[in-house]
Amino acid sequence: MKRGIIARSAFLTIVILAALVLLFPFFWMLSSSFKTQVDIISWPPKFLFSPTLQNYQRVFGEQDFLRYFLNSTIIGISSVGVSLVLGLPAAYSIARFSQKRLSVFILVARLMPGISFLMPWYIIFSRLGLMDSYTALILSHMLIALPVVVWIMSSYFASVPREMEESAMVDGATRQRAFMSIILPLSGPGIVTATTLSFIFSWNNFMFSQVLSMERTKTLPIAVYNFVSYAEVDWGAVMAVAVAIMTPAIILTMIFQKYVVKGLTMGAVKG
Amino acid sequence: MIRTGFVERNLRILFPLPAVAFVMVMMLFPVLYTLFLSFTNWNLTSGMPLKWVWLRSYGRVFAEPRFLEALGRTIVFTLSAVTLETFLGTTVALVLNREFAGKGLVKLLLLLPLVATPVAVGIVFNLFYDPTIGLANWVLTSLGLAKSNWVSGASTVLPSLILVDVWQWTPMISLIVLAGLAGLSAEPYESARVDGATEAQILRLITLPMAMPTIITAMTLRTVDGLKTFDIIYAMTGGGPGYASETLNILGYKYSFEYFRMGQSSVVLVVLFLVVLAASLGIMKLRGQSEF
Amino acid sequence: MRRKAILALVVALAIVATATAQQKEIRVLLANHPYGDLLKSAIPEFEASSGIKVNLEQYQEGQLSTKLATEFATGSSTVDVFMTRPLQETKMFYKNGWYQPLASYDFADFPKASLGLVSFGSKTYVVPIVTEWQVLYYRIDLLKKAGLAVPTTFADLEAAAKRLNSADVAGFASRGKGNPAVTQMSSFLYNYGGTYLDKGKAVFNSKAALDAIRFYGKMLGTYGPAGVTAMSWDNIMPVFQAGKIAMWTDASVFYSQIVDPAKSQVPAESVGIANFPAGPKGNTPFIVVSWGMAISKKTKSLDAAQTFLAWATSADMAKRALGNQQITVARNSPWLDKAVLAKVNPGLIETRAYAAKNGVPFDRPYMSAVGEARDRIGEVIIESINTKGESANLEKKANDMVVKVNELLEDTGEYGVQ
Repeated sequence: MKRGIIARSAFLTIVILAALVLLFPFFWMLSSSFKTQVDIISWPPKFLFSPTLQNYQRVFGEQDFLRYFLNSTIIGISSVGVSLVLGLPAAYSIARFSQKRLSVFILVARLMPGISFLMPWYIIFSRLGLMDSYTALILSHMLIALPVVVWIMSSYFASVPREMEESAMVDGATRQRAFMSIILPLSGPGIVTATTLSFIFSWNNFMFSQVLSMERTKTLPIAVYNFVSYAEVDWGAVMAVAVAIMTPAIILTMIFQKYVVKGLTMGAVKG
Repeated sequence: MIRTGFVERNLRILFPLPAVAFVMVMMLFPVLYTLFLSFTNWNLTSGMPLKWVWLRSYGRVFAEPRFLEALGRTIVFTLSAVTLETFLGTTVALVLNREFAGKGLVKLLLLLPLVATPVAVGIVFNLFYDPTIGLANWVLTSLGLAKSNWVSGASTVLPSLILVDVWQWTPMISLIVLAGLAGLSAEPYESARVDGATEAQILRLITLPMAMPTIITAMTLRTVDGLKTFDIIYAMTGGGPGYASETLNILGYKYSFEYFRMGQSSVVLVVLFLVVLAASLGIMKLRGQSEF
Repeated sequence: MRRKAILALVVALAIVATATAQQKEIRVLLANHPYGDLLKSAIPEFEASSGIKVNLEQYQEGQLSTKLATEFATGSSTVDVFMTRPLQETKMFYKNGWYQPLASYDFADFPKASLGLVSFGSKTYVVPIVTEWQVLYYRIDLLKKAGLAVPTTFADLEAAAKRLNSADVAGFASRGKGNPAVTQMSSFLYNYGGTYLDKGKAVFNSKAALDAIRFYGKMLGTYGPAGVTAMSWDNIMPVFQAGKIAMWTDASVFYSQIVDPAKSQVPAESVGIANFPAGPKGNTPFIVVSWGMAISKKTKSLDAAQTFLAWATSADMAKRALGNQQITVARNSPWLDKAVLAKVNPGLIETRAYAAKNGVPFDRPYMSAVGEARDRIGEVIIESINTKGESANLEKKANDMVVKVNELLEDTGEYGVQ
């Protein structure tokens, strides 16, 4: 009995400690975003301070922050949307016809260092007159989203019993019809998973947007640097931007927690 | 007989076709172009047109101590980070692998670091690590320890960056392994208990071997991303102090966008790709063996 | 009543302007710099008076460089006018033919020295906007408490740093991060009688240069803040603002930030600004054009671009920048205007006058591959800082890096060319 209590409290201590370590950077970012520049750089660090909203006022008032927000959203949603359209049939085909080589081919996109894409894309997009267009950014972000969709959905489809579409096909439906009307409606959870995860990856992307986006299409991770200027780093505003970028991703994660965990683990566990 | 249509007969080609075409267009040209550039001396600072120079750019890059150091550093960074993450992540998963109140909440907390925007994470940790006004040194001095230079010191920068990577990605390994553990069948455990095995034996002889494929997959994912780590290093140190945190990806970026030497940048990127490819193949092979 | 009439007129003009089917548009790239911010806020005035629509983009300086070079190099840029850093970009941009020569611009109001770097042959390619020179920032209160006078020589500087250095406050700071340190090292180099490049060859391994690098390393290694080899201005400034640095040599541009009570814990009256101290070979600190503005060779609306450039770099705009924002502009006339000067900090006026008379117009090796060269020279500086200037290896390291920098000069056909 006594041993049980000790084990239990040891367990709780570990869990709480781990949680603190995980949360602390978020806490520090959040509290710094409500500090003045003077409080942020004070030593010893201030845990108690009179909070100010001026950083958020600067971020949302002086800068066109809503537009960056909108840009990130448009690019995220569109790239994920198109990736689903392209990726779902491909994932289905990989799952049903065991096209291993095909899945490897699409996953090679994950192996390439992203920087090597930048110059060539720049050349293509500018020749096509697509610079500073959503199209260019959506296409580049699709290279992040598509492998995620294929990776997650092919293992999801593999877990759907073949009998589901086979019975429909016996009744005279074509396979593509069966895919559309039987398999896809059953795949809601998998699609939610793939969507959430690939949206978050697109949302967080820095490298592609850094080179391909311009003022009109600037996304949030790039806008952090709006507050790093030639002679000044506005730490409070940078922290406020960091909070603003992470909040939507965190809210999405909270809503779709179960799916996100599944997505991260599905491909890995099923292999 | 049911007459099968054209679409249905060719489904296995038509269904993946759009995705494959997209990847081909978006990836194939960049890959070939990078490969092409690696055999040229294209250099924007010279203002001269590019010239095909065969392997001369490779020669110059390989002769550059910075490159070899960056190669070694990339491997050290990834190996240390992934090893730590796998060890910690698996431990956490084993600890959490039971039912308790608040498990859902703990899983949510585990998710937070890995959905956090890396660039922003880097900036927050920079404030944290500042040797003069940062919280990290305040914690050290409060504990009676000596201050550290963290990312500002040549010898401490890599461990400090690894710490950030570990903070951000250990939870992912935990979640993956946790899911793997949940899927294990109960049967071997029951018979082991009947035979009177200790908890330690069960862990060593049953749980770990059965969870190994999952652990290795998680490691593969992390290794690929670890070798390509960019955002955090770029935002935190830009490769410094000096070149003390310069990895291949950062070096490739610098060659392209700061030195404007496209030929040599392409060489670095080709090498990085080969390293990533070799690592993934190696680990996959390891996994194949562990399944016997 | 009158205001209303004017307003109506402006609105009417605006409507006419937008209604014109062939309204001109230009794309302008600015830096995150106070001058860029000033232009941004004044753009509506320009649009109203000229009828030209300005599509403005603003970037952090490194991003701006990358963006411009990538756009120009891939050959289909749509940029019309942009801010540019002469010492960093001009040689490379010029060689690639990315600048439009400014044939009709009146350069009479600019110091000769500032035009030398941006002119090739008989043509000038960049309008200088902002100048910077190296100064010494110091804590009046700390020096007073220690009974010290403001250092005017390197020997004084070292003695003062030694006295003021404590566990809590660093005696002296300057940039220690390799690449950015190169510019702030340059005045030390000059005052020891050294230089980075001479007649198109790297010479920072000369006796004088090595003495300067050793001194810089000794100062920062011994009296510098923790982690100084990772510090550029952006890391030093908050530490200074937190009251943890007694003396700091850097560019004049930071003055208004460090006396701003909203940002600093150090009261403004405790912050002093003085001339850069003299070395064994006199005192010739750098005074450089840090920012200029140029037109893209590929512009499709040259007229509109020229109109914008003339407005953005006008004497009026420069006076506004200096008087209202304390931006140290390149033009001469604002510095002669009593009404403007009344609003400018005397410390800035005095140190500028000194630097303008005695200074050197370079703060880095002036070459196309300057980015990589700075990293190379930075290696030597870091080696010196890490060993407090004592490194037995320093000369060898400098020799190695001279070879590397010469290689870069050869790559770009600049070796041995004046």
